[in-house]
Amino acid sequence: MLGRMLWRSVLEGRRRKSLAAITVALSAALITTLFSLSVDVGDKMAKEMKSYGSNIRVSPKAEAMPLVIDGVDYNPLKDQDTLEEADLPKIKDIFWRNNIVGLSPRLAVAARVEGAADTSKPAEVNLVGTYFDHPLALPDDPDYRTGVRATNPFWRVDGAWPNEDMAGAPSEEVLVGANLASRLDVKTGDELTLSLAADSGAAETVKVSGILSTGDAEDDAVVAPLALVQGMTGLEGQVQSVDVSALTIPENELSNRARRDTGQLTAEEYDVWYCTAYVSSIAHQIEEAVPNAAARPIWQVAASEGVVIGRIQVLLLTVSLAAILAAAMAVSSLMNTTVLERSREIGLMKALGARRWEIQALFLGEAAMVGLVGGVLGLIVGVGLAQVVGRSVFGTGIDFQWITVPIVLVVSVATVMLGSILPARSISSLSPAEVLHGH
Amino acid sequence: MAPMDGTAFAAVSDDAATTSAPIPNPSREVIGCDALSRHFGQVAALDDVTFRVGEGEFLAIMGPSGSGKTTLLNILSLLDAPTSGSYRLDGIETANLTEKDRVVIRREKIGLVFQQFHLIPYLSAVENVMLAQHYHSVADRDEALEALERVGLAERAGHLPSQLSGGEQQRVCIARALINAPALILADEPTGNLDADNERRVMKLLESLRAEGRTIVLVTHNPALGRQADRILRLEHGRKA
Ligand SMILES: Nc1ncnc2c1ncn2[C@@H]1O[C@H](COP(=O)(O)OP(=O)(O)OP(=O)(O)O)[C@@H](O)[C@H]1O
Ligand SMILES: [Mg+2]
Repeated sequence: MLGRMLWRSVLEGRRRKSLAAITVALSAALITTLFSLSVDVGDKMAKEMKSYGSNIRVSPKAEAMPLVIDGVDYNPLKDQDTLEEADLPKIKDIFWRNNIVGLSPRLAVAARVEGAADTSKPAEVNLVGTYFDHPLALPDDPDYRTGVRATNPFWRVDGAWPNEDMAGAPSEEVLVGANLASRLDVKTGDELTLSLAADSGAAETVKVSGILSTGDAEDDAVVAPLALVQGMTGLEGQVQSVDVSALTIPENELSNRARRDTGQLTAEEYDVWYCTAYVSSIAHQIEEAVPNAAARPIWQVAASEGVVIGRIQVLLLTVSLAAILAAAMAVSSLMNTTVLERSREIGLMKALGARRWEIQALFLGEAAMVGLVGGVLGLIVGVGLAQVVGRSVFGTGIDFQWITVPIVLVVSVATVMLGSILPARSISSLSPAEVLHGH
Repeated sequence: MAPMDGTAFAAVSDDAATTSAPIPNPSREVIGCDALSRHFGQVAALDDVTFRVGEGEFLAIMGPSGSGKTTLLNILSLLDAPTSGSYRLDGIETANLTEKDRVVIRREKIGLVFQQFHLIPYLSAVENVMLAQHYHSVADRDEALEALERVGLAERAGHLPSQLSGGEQQRVCIARALINAPALILADEPTGNLDADNERRVMKLLESLRAEGRTIVLVTHNPALGRQADRILRLEHGRKA
């Protein structure tokens, strides 16, 4: 009986109910879009943020103080501890290996440059050896390639990236930083002679394949394939440090405590921390994997990434809440009109001995159906909208999360229920004698 | 005094439709009103009205328009409460009842016919009758159809109120008031919109209800109906005339 009544009564005020359903659908569409984005956006945005640099630096445990004069490190390399190049694949083999976007080793040394158009005497510069896009065989991916092109995607090269497979060739290819290039008047295609500043030993002839702009210290350096610098310094198979770019989630109270001292965590907390992609737990796992290594988060980058993503998610949440509130208010006013219009009917039900909940169930049942219809409509529109926004903002589609369906439906029904609280209350305060009497 | 869900009523309402009526006891008070008054702001719609109705009695309330008849019936049906004075229903002082109790009593014991016939617009005639069954116990379509037949509306059962004439709507209301076999029937001008034929039909219906031992309070302008009653309560400007 109640079911039939509900159905008839839903069909009764079709126009107003469609209006309410559309209101709910709008907010549901917005929530679907924002929710899809905010679930997917964490990943997408983290990847975007990665283009601003790596966030973990791996170096030898007992690193000697660098001896930097005028931007050039004069600390003799042989006195420094180094990491084994052969250990690099281990970094990409930790629990969070899939979150590691790339890594680039570094071996820097003070060098002299000769042969530039505008140099009467040799210039002292920093020579940095690294991977550009270098093969790094992994246990589960023998064809893996990585280097600064992955970890520092914002590096711009005017010319071509050096070919790294020319070891032993008469003239290897290098990049010259933009500042240095303009200082020495070096152009793409020039040939230079590089020798170590510390001793006047072996000199290498190199060809400038491109001019590098980074907005960082490399703008004043010569950047060469790692193997070249290793050969010049006699440090074959050694690197000074490794920059790692990892996808991380925002730090929280747990990760902050872990950062201070992992010993303070309970076994359970430790497990949670270890199995969460905090920058600190990823750094910790790198230290476990690579012998003699210290992995330190580069906090400015890591922390601000987390904060920005966190803030954007708070923003999305706020907008969603505002949408829900607006929809609830609209539904509330629609419901109020309905209750007023149908006050005779309500009074009659009361006079016939309907329990209060029976009348409220009728109206709330109607509201729930309106919410459900609105929710389904909103989902369909919202999923489409998320794709459009995803494409225009992030340049990729948004993966559809099935969890969105129950969440949006529940939120939509709850929205309508929220909007129905006050109208449903006015049902109980309605006096049948007055409404039936027609005064 | 009988308990609230008095067995006297229960026995009547359960068996009345099928078995021969138990003999009512007119000396048992069903309605007892003492110095009943109802004020709407300055307007005294009811003013110091005292009367009693015994079990199985048929009371007619008569009086000019605006004399407080509907106001009185609203109080008797527990839809409204007096400003002052006391109203005992079936031995219970109603002033102390909660809203929930009032709903329960209305549902269990009272059949109501309104002056303006109120029907749910989107339910058919038979469904409107079934709604009263539903609130009382369980809806039973056959029983509801039978009730419509008693008021001569069997073939109109599937029509919506908007498809029925005023008189037909009024008869649906009467069928609805009687469907749960209430011990107390409160009717506000049930023949106001009826032609002579249907008026006679309703009068016969009331006669048979009285024979079943129901207590009936009826508001009417119709002298013929008034004569059918055991007693007449005349109101004028809210006072007993
Ligand atoms: N809810 C109310 N608010 C204000 N005044 C009311 C209210 N209900 C009734 N009245 C007033 O009380 C008086 C009695 O009204 P009531 O409806 O009881 O008259 P009645 O005898 O049923 O008249 P009729 O024969 O026309 O139906 C009238 O003056 C009416 O205006
Ligand atoms: Mg009246």
